[in-house]
Amino acid sequence: MTKIDIQQLIDFLEESREKSSEVTLTDVMGLAEVMTGSMGDIIEHIQPAVTVELAEIGAEIARMKAEISKLRVADMRDNHIPDAGRELDAIVSSTEEATHSIMEAAEAIMAADPEDIQAYQDTVNNQVMEIFQACAFQDITGQRISKVVSTLNTIDERVSNFVERLRLEQEAHNEQGGEETDEERRKRELILHGPQHKGEGVSQDEIDAMLGDVQQDDIDKLFA
Amino acid sequence: MALDLQMPILVVDDYKTMIRIIRNLLKQLGFTDIDDAADGTEAYEKMKQRRYGLVISDWNMEPMTGYELLKQVRQDAALCKTPFIMVTAESKTENVIAAKKAGVNNYIVKPFNAQTLKGKIEAVFAD
Repeated sequence: MTKIDIQQLIDFLEESREKSSEVTLTDVMGLAEVMTGSMGDIIEHIQPAVTVELAEIGAEIARMKAEISKLRVADMRDNHIPDAGRELDAIVSSTEEATHSIMEAAEAIMAADPEDIQAYQDTVNNQVMEIFQACAFQDITGQRISKVVSTLNTIDERVSNFVERLRLEQEAHNEQGGEETDEERRKRELILHGPQHKGEGVSQDEIDAMLGDVQQDDIDKLFA
Repeated sequence: MALDLQMPILVVDDYKTMIRIIRNLLKQLGFTDIDDAADGTEAYEKMKQRRYGLVISDWNMEPMTGYELLKQVRQDAALCKTPFIMVTAESKTENVIAAKKAGVNNYIVKPFNAQTLKGKIEAVFAD
């Protein structure tokens, strides 16, 4: 190890110390890169094969650093994900407002006095117009949802590329029996699946059949 | 048996809009005494204070779900006979079977209409 190598190592450590007290993956990789580079001369004399290995490790680390920078984690954390959250909040808010307006109008129609035909007709017409206007929320929420989908696609693309290029093995969380979280346990124990997509789940007719004609023995057979 | 339109009905849902929808549908069907609760815990407390003729409950609520409320009601000697209809988006077979085993009187999958609600209430009181 030459004086230059040692100085490089010192510079790197001092620079890292000044930046932050937290050690990041990038710091560790940077340190490994400097170390492998600085030890090259020493090991070259001992065993040429080790030199080749170290060079390959160094190249691999450099490649990983490049891939991590392409992932643009800070961009996802600071921009894409908060933006998507704001869009979803806006969707919840606008659908709630629209539903409220529609229900207000419907309730006004229900409460209108049909004895006075002209007044009743005016009320119905005005409230129907309110309902039409409130339905405009669908256009805006559609655009907001498209933006969220676009964000998810961007994140998916970046992470997928990262995993692929680093040749990381896909983590089969469920198959390997990863530890169940409290939220997952609650959902399992209380049978919380949420709404099903079209064609999934059972229909009202099927439910009626299950509750009406099917006996307990038939239900028990489903579990056998 | 004719439906008693004056019987008190408890609607349990954590979405105010859904409570409002069910309230209006029940009003349209002629029911006049409608109360509501935002989750199973509040509903159970209300049920201990007042004798309801029917409970219409959502499944997925926090902290106590409609499924837990159903099981608790059926285990309570004073409340176990209360007719209980589940109105929920949970439409997996295992949900229906679990509700049936827990003693639900009927099960309506969301979204639903006034006719379905009316039909299920009538079916519960025809049994």
